[in-house]
Parts: sequence; structure tokens; C-alpha cells
Amino acid sequence: MKFIIQTLATILICFASQYFLPWWTLALASCAVGYYFNNSGFTSFAAGFVGVGILWLGMAYYLDTKTLAIMTEKINRLFPINVYVLLVVVGGLTGGFAALTGTLLKGKKLARY
Amino acid sequence: MPSFKAILSALVTIALVVIFNRSWTVGTTIPPLGKFLDPFHGFWRNAETRNIPVEETEMDGLLDEVSIFYDSALIPHVYAKNEEDLFFVQGYLTAKYRLWQMEFQTHAAAGRISEIIGDKSIDFDRGQRRLGMVYAAQRSVEEMEKDSTAKMMAHRYAAGVNAYIQSLNYETLPFEYKLLNYWPEPWTPLKSGLLLKYMAKTLNIGDKDFEMTNALKLFGKETLELLYPDNEHVGDPIVDNPNGWKFKPISLDTVPVALPRDFVQVDPLEKSAPDIGSNNWAVAGSKTATGSPILCNDPHLELNLPSIWFIVHLNAPGYNAMGASLPGAPAVISGFNDSIAWGVTNAQRDLVDWYKIEFKDGTKNEYLSDGKWKTATKVIEKISVKGKADVYDTMIYTHHGPVTYDKSFHVESESEKNNYAFRWIAHDPSKELLTFYLLNKGKNHSDYMSALNNYSSPAQNFVFACVNGDIAMRIQGKYPVRRQNEGRFVLDGTKTSTEWHAFIPNDQNVTYKNPERGFVSSANQYPVDDTYPYYVTSTSYEAYRNRRINSLLASMKSITPQDMMKLQADNYNLKASESLPGWLKMLDSTKLSDEEKVAYQKLKSWDFNNTVNAEAASYYEAWIRVLYPMVWDEVFDSKVSLPDPTAYTTIKLIKEKPELSFFDIQSTPEKETAVDVVRKSFSQGVKEIEKWKREKQKDPTWAAFKDSYIQHLARLEPLSYHVIHGGNGSIVNAHSRRNGPSWRMVVSLEKNGVKAWGVYPGGQSGNPGSPYYNNMIDVWTADRYFNLHFNSSAEQVKTFAQSSSTLKPKGK
Repeated sequence: MKFIIQTLATILICFASQYFLPWWTLALASCAVGYYFNNSGFTSFAAGFVGVGILWLGMAYYLDTKTLAIMTEKINRLFPINVYVLLVVVGGLTGGFAALTGTLLKGKKLARY
Repeated sequence: MPSFKAILSALVTIALVVIFNRSWTVGTTIPPLGKFLDPFHGFWRNAETRNIPVEETEMDGLLDEVSIFYDSALIPHVYAKNEEDLFFVQGYLTAKYRLWQMEFQTHAAAGRISEIIGDKSIDFDRGQRRLGMVYAAQRSVEEMEKDSTAKMMAHRYAAGVNAYIQSLNYETLPFEYKLLNYWPEPWTPLKSGLLLKYMAKTLNIGDKDFEMTNALKLFGKETLELLYPDNEHVGDPIVDNPNGWKFKPISLDTVPVALPRDFVQVDPLEKSAPDIGSNNWAVAGSKTATGSPILCNDPHLELNLPSIWFIVHLNAPGYNAMGASLPGAPAVISGFNDSIAWGVTNAQRDLVDWYKIEFKDGTKNEYLSDGKWKTATKVIEKISVKGKADVYDTMIYTHHGPVTYDKSFHVESESEKNNYAFRWIAHDPSKELLTFYLLNKGKNHSDYMSALNNYSSPAQNFVFACVNGDIAMRIQGKYPVRRQNEGRFVLDGTKTSTEWHAFIPNDQNVTYKNPERGFVSSANQYPVDDTYPYYVTSTSYEAYRNRRINSLLASMKSITPQDMMKLQADNYNLKASESLPGWLKMLDSTKLSDEEKVAYQKLKSWDFNNTVNAEAASYYEAWIRVLYPMVWDEVFDSKVSLPDPTAYTTIKLIKEKPELSFFDIQSTPEKETAVDVVRKSFSQGVKEIEKWKREKQKDPTWAAFKDSYIQHLARLEPLSYHVIHGGNGSIVNAHSRRNGPSWRMVVSLEKNGVKAWGVYPGGQSGNPGSPYYNNMIDVWTADRYFNLHFNSSAEQVKTFAQSSSTLKPKGK
């Protein structure tokens, strides 16, 4: 439950920051969410990873449906790795480590890995 | 106090952000992945739909409101209230759809590609600088600044481009900038100048002076004239006006052409492909169904994406022109207005000379000219290289022009004697923009003539037609007056007598109006009949397209625009029809293998059309590709660079001089004749086709074998297209593998309203994420056209507009 709430909060806050600000502000947003929720390190990391992953995937999927994936199809041939996989790895890792940092900075609960 | 783990985790997060926020070079360049993949700002944002967004923008720099109507092909119809705003909006819109291409091409012109793609292109960049591209652009900009109209055009266009650049953020940045990770720099009139010089380089830099010098020394004068004649005397010249040249030509003192004694050991820079050329023609009302003239143009260039052309319709009080523009330059280049239409093909003319320079010593500070030492100017060129240290190159300018080749650049022996200075017409000040401005606004033949008086380079065959019934052709450029044979070989830079002393006056240039035959045409052939009093020479002249076009035009009556479209798409291979029957007779049909018999039958029953499915066309092409280097092994295997004889001369020699020593294949002990070469190359050509069939596992239809390819400028495969289309070089539909009709236009100049059709292999948008990036390609390969809606009032345009936008001055 805690995981789901933090994930949803990450999606919401990151959406708000990303909408107006450059991509890297998602790290600050995810970190702040991690700090606010008192979850374990693992839960927090996972929530950051999954939250940003879902947000980015959802947004990319929405744009692809609208534009018949006209761009994605080309990038997939340009890159050696599927661009959706890459998207989750890049966004997820950044969001995950940012959330973990938030949790650890608060430091009330010992992180359980 | 944060825990050790917290610090570690924070460091990892920061490291990830830093890593994903910059680009990396691991073999190829990886864009900054965080920025690039972020679906809120990254590449996903470059994806577009067919809907053309309505733009209601207030912007600095506009004087009044400007309306823009887009038709279904994303062609903008711009309605401005004054010309200042018209060129501003042309700049703005062209940038909006083509900014990356505009900047990339001008960077290429200026020798700055290494800045974007790294050290792969240092040699290219050095070459561009050593040819004096920026020097040429600067001189033409200085000339533009002196003319109030040209100055206004260049500056207003630049202001419009910059208005677009200033509006950009990472989200709206064109895709290629995101991928290659850089930002556009401000646009300047110099960049427009660079673009025009880039075209000049593509079209008019052809020369074979080094190669001819070597050929003369190696083969002697007689063989030289046999292999590389100045004029092949084939077909009609562009202007055939025997004894019609009633003027007193400028004559120079007769100075014998001094030929250099040594071989030229230079590895010349890459030249334009020989199948770069163009067709244009105009038929008089006496030959058309409506009684009004029809004008057609299709320039053949390397086919790339984004396309070299951008269609615009420009309207302001006193100005109403439509047609193809060059992204980066104001006005319409090949197009029409309410009264006239015009189009261009390349004028084949030698406008390049190389002077061998003798320096006083290794410092290269002084060089010899008429027995005196002149001071050379040195300029240090700095080439920035992405991810590497800057490269410096010292350029030396003589009064001839820049020293392109010296021991540090493209010479085969590092002798201090190898110094060649470059004299090129495009180095001279000129104001081409004014020509196009005057053509855009022209009303009749005399406006056309005075517009062209301002045009110097690259020399073009300007075709013309007018609603009043006039048709005309003028071969316009700035041409040096040459003595016989001057300019064919490397010149002695120590003597001023060999320099360009005078230019042919504009009113003595080759031109004619309303010829009796009822049409004018040009297809890069020899320009003029033998009675023209000036010496004319060039790298090569096209021998086939012009004859096919002229024979069809001469026989046609009641011509409709659809007939003209059919002619632009004509696939008849005149070269094959003139060579193949004779070659087939040379084969010994009793000694053919099974595969060869199949090929023989296919070739024998071929109707000489290079249509999509014609397998015989593939066999013929494979044959000639083997035959040509087999005949000219003496040229290809030579230690010094030599010119390539034309296909026409090759075919003629096979027919007329089969015992010529060149037919002997050097690598074999036997003594071959033309018949042996034809037989051997046939067998090998068939083997090539068999190999192709095994590799591709399909039938060698012409389109499949030719495999035409329209390539993205950054050479990215996923952004490029293989297309199925007929034609070839030397055919009216001049579509070879990489070059072809880059713009096709047909204009019917009817009294009750000009009608026009056009198409090019690309799309109006340069954005690979737009459906308008490639939407014209299929129309083009089907040899179909877009109707170029040309209605003179905004009210009429509204009736078909898909979308309309309004740009307003800020604060009004």
C-alpha cells in the first residue's frame, strides 16, 4: 500500500515538475517524495523507479497513439536497444536513486535492502 | 548529518543526472539520453500529425499583419502588406520547417561540418575553405549590401529566421539538433550568401584542367581531341542561330597557350556526379491545345532529405510569385507569377582555372608574376572539431585566388613545386538575389532580360515564357573571354597574359526569343552553334536528353500540360538504342552460356525504356558498367589522374574505330579489339547480374537493380528511403541511384489565369517526425504532381486552405 501511494505521488509530482521544467527536475521531485514518505529504502527506490517509469511510458505511449509512432519507429531503427526499454531504464534509475536518496536523507528508519 | 549511504545514494543520483544530461562518443555519438528520451521535451515532442496547427503569434520585427494559408501539401501561401514583411515571413516559415537543413548546408559550405560530426570531415572542411567558399560568400554579401533591394531581402529574411530561432526551447528544437546535441546559431545574410555559393559549387565547379594537362602530356594532341573533344557535335545546340550573332566581339591579343611541362600530381577534390544536370523547355502557343505557352523545368540534383527545395507562394502588393525556393535564400528560384514563368538548368561552361604558382622560397610569402615578386596574403583557418582539439590550416591567397593545393593538401608528391591557385567565377562579387527578385515581379520579356543582367554565377540556362505568348532562352552567367583552348589545361601563374582580361558583355551572351520551331529547350548540351564568335568549353556536355526532348517536342502538336508531364517522366534510353543493337551483333551467339542466352534474348526484345520492371535495362546497365572501365583501363589505372571520356565518345569509338589501341586490355597478353571488349564485358556483366540475383534472391527488375535512394543529409538510414522508380542518367527522367529530378514544374500561361503543377521527392517539412517529411515521394515516383493553387486573392486561397495562421507585430 505504502509503495502504491508513494508511486502515485511520484507520478503526480514528477508530472507537475516535468510539465514546466527540464527533465532532471524529476530527480528533485522524486527525492522530495522519498523524503516525505517514510518508506524503507527498497520500497522507496522501487516506487521512484516504477513511478517515473510509468509516467514516462504513459506519456510516450500517449504521444505515440496520437502520432502513429512516426518518430518512435525511426528511433527504434536508429538505436540498438528498444527505445521504450531505454526510456524505463534511464527515467527509472534516475527516479529510483533520487527517491532512495530522499529516504536515506531523512534517515529515521534504517534502510532494509 | 546524512549517513554514508545517503551521501553515496545522492552521489549516484547526481552522477546519473550528469551522465544522462550530456552526449557521449562511443564509436558513434550517443545523444544526452535523459534529455533526448524525456517524453515531455525530448524527441517524442517532434512527432506530429497531419493537422497543421493554427498559429496566432505576435512577434517583434513585423511591420504589419501577415496571413498564411496552408494547402493540403503544407505549401504556405503568404499574404503580406509589404515586401519587408514578405521576406521576413519567408525566412520565418522556411526556418520553421527547414532550420536544421539550412544551417547544416551553410555549415557545409563554410567548411564547418567537423563542428557537428567530428574528425571524419576534416578533409572536407579543409577543402571547402581552400576553395575559398567563405571568401566568395563574403564578397557577394558586400555586393548585396550595396543594393538597397538585395540588402533588404537578405536582412529581412535573416530577421525572420532569427525570430524563429529565438522562439525555440529544447522541446520545440528540431530533431537533428537533439540527436546531434547542439543548438542553432543566429542566421546572417552571409549564410544566404554561403548557400548560393554552395549551389554554385554543386553546379559550376566542374573542371578537368589537371586531368587534361596530364592527358595531353601522356597521349598527345591528336588522341586528346579524339578522346576529349571540346564539342561532340551531337544534336542541336541550346541556341541554334547560325550567323545571327551581329555584334563586334571582344578579342584578346593572340598569345599561344603555354602548356605546363610536368604532370600534375594532384589528387583532386571530389567532383559533382556527371548526371547532375537539368531539363527545361517552353513551347509556344502555336503548339499547345490552349494556344498559350507552357513552360517546364526539372533540375537534376543529388536527392536528399530534407529536400533541396521548399515550395512557397509569396504575395504582397506588386508581388505575387510561386514556385520552388532554396531554404536559406529569399524569393522564388524556379517558378512563375501572374504574367511570366521561368526555370533553370545548369549552363555547362568552364568557369574554373588553375594557375601553377612559383613561390620565391619555402616561406611562401612571395610569388612570381611577370618577373616580379608579389606578396601573398596568409590567413589561418581554425577548424573546430567536435570532441577533439581544433585543427589549423594556413591558407595562401594570390591575386588569382586561394592556393587550394599545396604540399599539405591533396598532392601526390610533397614537392615544393606543387602549388595551384584557384580562379573561380563565383569568387567575384555578384548579386543574384536581385535577379530572382526582378524575375518574381517580372511582367514581360524585357523585365526578364533586365533581371538576368544582374546574374553572374552559377551560370544557368534561363527558360522563359509569358502570358502574352513570348518564349525565350538565355544562357546567363559571367563568362571570361577565352582564347582558343584556354582554360582546358593548367595555366602558368607566373604570366599575367594567361589571366582573365575581359568578360563577355551581357548583350553578347547566348540568347534567343520565339524561334521558328515553336519551342526552346536546354538539357546541359553544347550551348550554341559554331558561328558564335567566342570560344566555349566545358568539362562535358550531355549528349542524349536534349535530342530526345527536341525530337519529341518537334513532333508534338496541341500539347497539353499532361503531355508535358509525360515528357518529364519519359524513360526512353536513347543511349541504349544507339549502342545496344550494334553490340548485340558483335556477340557470337553460338558461344553463349545459358544465362547469356537469356540475357541476349531480353536485350534483343527490349523497347529501350528504363521502366520499373524492365530487366533488360538492368542487363544493359551491368554491361556498360563493366565495359566502360574495360575500355578505359589506360585511364583508370594510370598513375596520374586523367579525365573520363564521355559515354557518347566511348560508344562512337566502338562503332567507328574498333581497332583503336585503347581497346587493348593492358592486363592480358592478347591484343583485343572493340569486339573482344564488347564480348568480354557482356559475359562479365551477365555474371554480375547472376551474382546480384543470388545475393538479393529476386528478379533483376530495373528499379530493384538501380536501387534509388533518397538520403537524409546526416546519412541516417532510418530517416532515408529506397524508392521504386524508372529512369536513369542520360534519360529525360534522369533518376539514377542518387541523382534525379529534384523538382518538377509545369506551368500553363493561360490568359485567364496561370495554372501550374509541381512536385519534388520529399516533403515540405524537414522534420522526420512529420507526415509531411516524405509525403511527396510517392506522388513523385508515380510521376504525378500537386496542383499549385495559384489564386491571386487571399479570399480565393481561403476556399482550399487546410489551415490558416496570422502573424502580428508585437503590441499592435
